[in-house]
Amino acid sequence: MYSDEEYAEDEYSYGHHDQYSNQYDREHMVPDKVKKVMSYMQDMIADRNINELNTLYETSIPELTEQYYKTCEWPEFEEIANYVRADPVFHNLYKELYYRHLYARVPGSLHLEQRLESYWNYCELFNYIISAESPVMLELPNQWLWEIIDEFIYQFQSFSQYRAKMAKKSEAEIDTLKRNTKTWSVHSILSVLHHLVDKSNINKQLEVYNNQGNSEEIQDVAGEFGRHSLYKMLGYFSLVGLLRLHSLLGDYYQAIKVLENIELNKNSQHSKVPGCQITISYYVGFAYMMMRRYADAIRTFSNSLLYIQKTKQNFQTKSYQNDQINKQTDQMYMLLAICLVLHPQRIDESLQTTLREKQFADKMNKMQRGDIKEFESCFMSACPKFVSPVAPPFDSPEAHLEPAKLQLQVFMEEVEQQQMLPTIRSYLKLYTTMPLEKLAGFVDIKDEEFRNYLLAFKHKMQNVVWTKGTSGLEGEFQSGSEVDFYIDKNMIHIADTKVARRYGDFFIRQIHKFAELNRNLRDE
Amino acid sequence: MEGMKAEIKEMLQGIERYNPDKVSTLEHYVNLQARERGYDLEANLALLKLYQFMPDMYKLDVVAQILLLSLTNLPHTDIVLCKAMLTQDILHDDKIKTILYLSELLEMCQFKTFWEEINKHQALTGCVVGFEDAIRKFVCHVISITYQTIEDKVLRELLGLVDENAIRKWTDLYGWNIDGSFVYLASQEEIIKTRNITEKVDLESVASIMASCY
Repeated sequence: MYSDEEYAEDEYSYGHHDQYSNQYDREHMVPDKVKKVMSYMQDMIADRNINELNTLYETSIPELTEQYYKTCEWPEFEEIANYVRADPVFHNLYKELYYRHLYARVPGSLHLEQRLESYWNYCELFNYIISAESPVMLELPNQWLWEIIDEFIYQFQSFSQYRAKMAKKSEAEIDTLKRNTKTWSVHSILSVLHHLVDKSNINKQLEVYNNQGNSEEIQDVAGEFGRHSLYKMLGYFSLVGLLRLHSLLGDYYQAIKVLENIELNKNSQHSKVPGCQITISYYVGFAYMMMRRYADAIRTFSNSLLYIQKTKQNFQTKSYQNDQINKQTDQMYMLLAICLVLHPQRIDESLQTTLREKQFADKMNKMQRGDIKEFESCFMSACPKFVSPVAPPFDSPEAHLEPAKLQLQVFMEEVEQQQMLPTIRSYLKLYTTMPLEKLAGFVDIKDEEFRNYLLAFKHKMQNVVWTKGTSGLEGEFQSGSEVDFYIDKNMIHIADTKVARRYGDFFIRQIHKFAELNRNLRDE
Repeated sequence: MEGMKAEIKEMLQGIERYNPDKVSTLEHYVNLQARERGYDLEANLALLKLYQFMPDMYKLDVVAQILLLSLTNLPHTDIVLCKAMLTQDILHDDKIKTILYLSELLEMCQFKTFWEEINKHQALTGCVVGFEDAIRKFVCHVISITYQTIEDKVLRELLGLVDENAIRKWTDLYGWNIDGSFVYLASQEEIIKTRNITEKVDLESVASIMASCY
């Protein structure tokens, strides 16, 4: 029969031996540095050491990614499991980072099972936080919390678009999708966001803050959970998440409504996370533009872009948040250009200069001359990636293009209705008084039709503009046109606003710049 | 309607607004608005959103009513907000296409054509009580921001009214004076004046520069 040795060999037979050796190899392939950082991170989470976690999150982890995982996945949790304590929350957090990296750096290799697993990971994490009977003892840096929410919505958006692309799906994929209809459903996203908002009483907290309440009063309304930074910040970021979600679904009214307790026009930053502020500006500005509140859109974009110009150096290092910030910045410039064509108005000199430098002047000229294709291409490059809240029928190949097509159509109908405005405006600028028939003759249109255009000019140039209050939806009708007119019997009386060039201001700014340059040279 | 307004507002708080059970209440509320000259944008948008989430549930007639109701709130851009939440299928329906065509005439201020068209579609627009009067309010708004004095036959054309007395109702409502064959609205001269904005440099801005010159 078999000797002891031989029997022993059989135990560690081919399959068995391989499994262990693979595990050993994989662990061996995980660099020591990574193992140490993970273990350290777990300790810091347990200690609730926000400062260390900040450094880990913003510096150490991006560095490790650049060094070892630039174009491939992070290690699976199982590969580092032996170096960290068993801990479901750390498991969830690690996996969240793992999938986030996967989506960002290796999206090509992403398959359906991974999308589903990421969803279930989020469910576990959010469940742990929301369903707790008393506040969980977890604290994470604000940047991290913001990115969890932002990524959650991003993966929903990505899944919705993936699901809608029916043309290239395999039978197996379609089958899996049919069996998992609730995964990444819009209802579950809404449920998470609303629960986080409700649990933290963030709206009540913001109301008290807006009414100059002190921190005691805020703590009072915050309730047991809202007092903790984790819940409060997740509540706040969920409001922004709702802004984004509603915008993706085309519900611009609700998008701005959810932020009604956040003063969009003051530079008060509740979160001190630049990515969050910029996201707010992008989506709010876009919603205003779709509602034909061009003055509000221009103001929102201008404020944000000026802020970004001043803090540009913060966004130069390579990381996902900076990539996103830079992308949204470009999109905001594009949207600002579109709004300025539809609603000419003065903006800050430095923004004018940047628009010229970034080659927007050419696009703006084309749009001003009524180039429909230019409007369409500018809109499509700057708009959010709209999605449909329902899965399309499994046999429609173009379903993933539908949501964007609809929003483009709504926008272009507005553009087409306003097509005559630039022509009328340019004629009005030439005169101070002119009989209606004569001006109609110059533009080569019948009197009655021309009269309709004048009425339409007035109607389209008077839009709702926010004047006061915290809700971004509030406002009054104001005329936004620098060229204005009224009709008396048959005479058009035109008024223009001439703004003198600000030479004094220009020289003062250049003098200050030069003085600073001098100082810097001297100091070197 | 007032009583229901408060109840609906309560219902739309938080996540309950996405509950499919609410659809019939919201549909009933749309009907109420149409019958009693009421209007509630938020409730109507909430219903459109529920239709968006559950396309099997949408009722074309209700969507038509919502769009007509949003036109009664011109010059607000409510109809744009509604359009952004529909689907291509709904937008291709004949009834909806007619309503959108009417809305385009209004947005382009082609009021004379509008009144001609609306005569052909009384059945459609009749489902909202007071629809035509609400549109006339919008027309008067646009006229009042454009004209100082308007010919009364032009006014009649824009308002789609033939009867002298009918016109009087509107001029009285807005306090406009009838002066022969013209109607005087209000003085626009103060509001619409040429302005020259010149630059003013104040002392604070140049103080530091002047101080560093010696």
